[in-house]
Amino acid sequence: MTNATIFVVIALLGLFAFVAVRQRSVALVSGATDQLHSLPRYHGYYAAVVVSLPSLLVLLLWVTTGKLIVENLILSGLPQETVAANAERIDLLINRIRLVAENGSAIETDETILSAATRFNSLYQQGVAATLALAVGIAAAGYFYATNKVGRKFRARARYEQVLLVLLAVSSFVAIGITIGIVASLIFESLRFFQQVPIAEFVFGLKWSPQTALRVDQIAAEGSFGAVPLFAGTFLISFVAMCVAGPIGLLSAIYLTQYAGPALRGFAKPLLEILAGIPTVVYGFFAALTVAPMLRNHGAVFGLDVASESALAAGLVMGIMIIPFVSSLSDDAITAVPDSMKQGSLALGATPAETIARVIIPAALPGIISSFLLAISRAVGETMIVVMAAGMRPNLTANPLEAVTTVTVQIVALLTGDQEFNSAKTLSAFALGLALFLTTLVFNIFALRLVRRYRQVYE
Amino acid sequence: MNAVVEPLMATESKPKMSIRDVHVRYGDVHAVKGINLDLYSDKVTALIGPSGCGKSTLLRCLNRMNDTISDCEVRGQIYLDGKDVYASDIDVVQLRARVGMVFQKPNPFPKSIYDNVAYGPRIHGLATDRDALDEIVEASLEKAGLWHEVKDRLDHLGTALSGGQQQRLCIARAIAVNPEVILMDEPCSSLDPIATAKVEALIDELSGRYAIVIVTHSMQQAARVSQKTVFFHLGEMIEYGDTTQIFTAPQQEQTRDYITGRIG
Amino acid sequence: MNDNDEHMPPAMQQVDWASPQMKARLNRRYWMDRLFRGLGLSAVAAATLFLIVLLGNIIQTGVSGFFQTSIEIDVSFDASILPDPALPRSEFSQAVAQVNMQRILRQALLEKFPDVKARGDVVRLTRLLSSGARSQLRSLVVRSPNIVGTTIPVQLLASDEVDQAVKGNIDVSLPEENRKLKNKEVGWLSLLQSENRVSLNFHPRFITSGDSREPELVGVWGAVVGSALTLLVTLLTAFPIGLAAAIYLEEFAPRNRLTTIIEININNLAAVPSIVFGLLGLAFFLGAVGMARSAPLVGGLTLALLSLPTIIISARAAITAVPQSIRDAARGLGASPMQVAFHHVVPQAMPGILTGTIIGMSRALGESAPLLMIGMVAFIVDVPTGIDDPATVLPVQIFLWADSPERAFIEKTSAAIMVLLFFLISMNGIAIWLRQKFERNW
Repeated sequence: MTNATIFVVIALLGLFAFVAVRQRSVALVSGATDQLHSLPRYHGYYAAVVVSLPSLLVLLLWVTTGKLIVENLILSGLPQETVAANAERIDLLINRIRLVAENGSAIETDETILSAATRFNSLYQQGVAATLALAVGIAAAGYFYATNKVGRKFRARARYEQVLLVLLAVSSFVAIGITIGIVASLIFESLRFFQQVPIAEFVFGLKWSPQTALRVDQIAAEGSFGAVPLFAGTFLISFVAMCVAGPIGLLSAIYLTQYAGPALRGFAKPLLEILAGIPTVVYGFFAALTVAPMLRNHGAVFGLDVASESALAAGLVMGIMIIPFVSSLSDDAITAVPDSMKQGSLALGATPAETIARVIIPAALPGIISSFLLAISRAVGETMIVVMAAGMRPNLTANPLEAVTTVTVQIVALLTGDQEFNSAKTLSAFALGLALFLTTLVFNIFALRLVRRYRQVYE
Repeated sequence: MNAVVEPLMATESKPKMSIRDVHVRYGDVHAVKGINLDLYSDKVTALIGPSGCGKSTLLRCLNRMNDTISDCEVRGQIYLDGKDVYASDIDVVQLRARVGMVFQKPNPFPKSIYDNVAYGPRIHGLATDRDALDEIVEASLEKAGLWHEVKDRLDHLGTALSGGQQQRLCIARAIAVNPEVILMDEPCSSLDPIATAKVEALIDELSGRYAIVIVTHSMQQAARVSQKTVFFHLGEMIEYGDTTQIFTAPQQEQTRDYITGRIG
Repeated sequence: MNDNDEHMPPAMQQVDWASPQMKARLNRRYWMDRLFRGLGLSAVAAATLFLIVLLGNIIQTGVSGFFQTSIEIDVSFDASILPDPALPRSEFSQAVAQVNMQRILRQALLEKFPDVKARGDVVRLTRLLSSGARSQLRSLVVRSPNIVGTTIPVQLLASDEVDQAVKGNIDVSLPEENRKLKNKEVGWLSLLQSENRVSLNFHPRFITSGDSREPELVGVWGAVVGSALTLLVTLLTAFPIGLAAAIYLEEFAPRNRLTTIIEININNLAAVPSIVFGLLGLAFFLGAVGMARSAPLVGGLTLALLSLPTIIISARAAITAVPQSIRDAARGLGASPMQVAFHHVVPQAMPGILTGTIIGMSRALGESAPLLMIGMVAFIVDVPTGIDDPATVLPVQIFLWADSPERAFIEKTSAAIMVLLFFLISMNGIAIWLRQKFERNW
């Protein structure tokens, strides 16, 4: 029996309640449904909601917390000495238990863990059974409540709509929930990281080499966790990207809004949008396979030593990717400038270029800046291009011909492949994630503010 | 190679601009139908008529602002000092500097008052140094009757002025490039009566120096500020004559109906 | 000009538009305008060119990924090695599975090249063929048992190195030590080519099979199914929640601070880097909830978090576009606010909502960074059958192949990108079609 079974059972109960209560309401007035305050189907909907919703909540609670509860039960049931021996890496222990419980005991030999895993499975099954019993019980109570409610005067529709309204409202809070989830999980893991590594080292340290002990009993030299080279690399690549996307995006927006005819505009605008729709993994492949070797070969012709994973290659391709971010938002900003400004300037004998440079661009500047900020934020958070085309070695340099690594590359490197739970190395990925989140958040908030204030000026 | 344009009426002065058999089409819409008209340097000419009669369209032909509309087609001749402004060798940038324009809604740039007025002289290179530019700005604002109101806050945003001040700023902006003709497209339609009175006084003040063409929907305004009046209806010129004559003794029945309020 | 007021500054008195200085200045201004215009046009052209080069590059390398080299070898299906075809069918196929097909292959090759004697050379000779050739023979025998005892020509998959050489991707003029395909192999290959035994054919296996370690045996089907399952989970969670949130915010939410916070929050979420959502998925779905790693379920939920803001924003835009008059009319007929929303507003807004949802889904389809965080990068051969099977998705498959060292993976990666782009173009095509079919101006 699984959680999915419980879900199906609850759904069937809800369906049953709908049919039964609907019929009951019809029977109550012997088919003369106009005597009911609410239509029979609303009585049915109401019953279905009363029956299934609380049970679904119980199920949701169990699905999200069940394994944690069982884990804690197992932990308290473990022999004292096992817990003591693994005091440092209690998560690792639990992980081993869960691995055996879920995938079988292929490599595990520790008797305590094997028995704990068996207990885990049986406890979990008990939990599932208890959840099912609770869900069915609540559903039954709901059913009796709903059937008793059926009556000529019962405002089933209003009650049903109240429940629906609450559901709609809860859905809109999910967005806040996601943000809270992001912030909470990042901060929680980062705090654990900062217990091991001082925050000052992370923020100001110039050396990034996340080496920690590989085994529990191994005492290796602690690594260094200075994030400065990572952010330097990130911003170097973003800078290169903006050098491509800024001029091309802005000039395209200007050309398409001010010079191009409707035909070219209708053709070129969607074409630019396609650039934003191409998956980043495709750009990464293009950067690593085509652009990087090309730069290296051409660099060699000019006597330049271009690294095969140069910041330039990743930055150039990323620049292509973010052209549409600059162009479409700048396009919006320029289009929002009232036409009367343009007319006023042209009527004074200004050329189109003078009108654009001296009137339209200054008037649209907040929107244009905001498009740049959003593009930078996108570049800073971009992952696949740099994972595929930028280097792994932290390098504090301003030379785009060298290889640098970025925050996102390190997060991916730290969290893919074999990882050690709870080590500073793994946790540092969350600290980097938090720093990345905050950095992009600053750019985004600033950009969105500018746009909003700018809209107020012209509307 | 200036053409000799025969004036429509035997008058003492030579017309500044002459309009000969001008037709304007927007796609399928025939907005202006065969207009003949003379405009004089020392006179204010008012174009009146019900909305949609083509008066604004004709006005926008005089400095070729219609060029910015892609499906607008202009036929016929418009002469400025005997030279057709639609001729291929005419420079539209220069033309617009010589024929300035003031719009229906005040449209100051989101720049300082000073920069608004200095905009034209700067792009055309009319001032050799900063002092000359200061002089032009002051003189233009003075002529527009705005100098005393704004001289202490030239660095404030032009868009922060009141509606009437904004419109006078736009007039100052147009004057600053020293145009020969000023076109005004219902310059007071978005202003309150007091601001309107000030702008009308300003037009009167400027009337001897520039050829002024004003489009208005207000007959009283036409009567107050203009010396010549043209009445348009459905793209055709119904009547053209001295303002006093048009308002006191209109020759055409349609004109009479319009100024007495029977059509509109 | 009659402007001769004595208080006019000299600068304002005369403008000689015909003066040479003015003419020169004017020319300069026009030149600047043309320059500006040219720059703008070249920016548009550059962006277009990038797109063409990018897609052209992918297609150019990718098309050959759909084709694979086969070598025709006369194989004698030795009755002394193979089981008796008279056996019942199931017993026969079981027996065939036990047969060492490599032996039959080796014999066939040695018959073709009798001069090859040295042990190393024999190994090299068999390496002309793919390791998949054995299972090709096996299924051939199972399909038609009566070939046992005969010798017939069979088309067998060539190894990736041979395939690359046939496609011209390996420069055989390079010094021998710089390439994997040695001179002897090149010799054998050209002999086979001169006998017209080498052919390049469309390779349906690339569409229908799962991942493999061998480039000539890989297929995208596993990743396509993985992507489909993942997107299904994403759609089933993000669409109802997104739609409900949009309905609430547009039709019911009071204008207060909380609503404003939700709105700002949604806009900000839409711009959060996707990898951060991966971290959330890792910490919450895998860490706290304890879901299975690498499964479409957890991948789909993570992508749902990611696409929720997009869906809410586009659904809200579609709902706002429904004119107030429709609401007023329905209210006037006695409908409750909920009925107005669900019976009138949402159906009218549905094309717009669906368009936005499809675009959100196509973005989710191309996403890979957050899926790396939750372990969807594993090497998985089997095609997943459910949302809790280990799976990978198309973009991650592309990432994995792009990382593989073999030369032949380059064209496979490009070919997989073509498959991904095909799905993206189809989805966006549907969105555009929806928008045009149902677009209305109120």
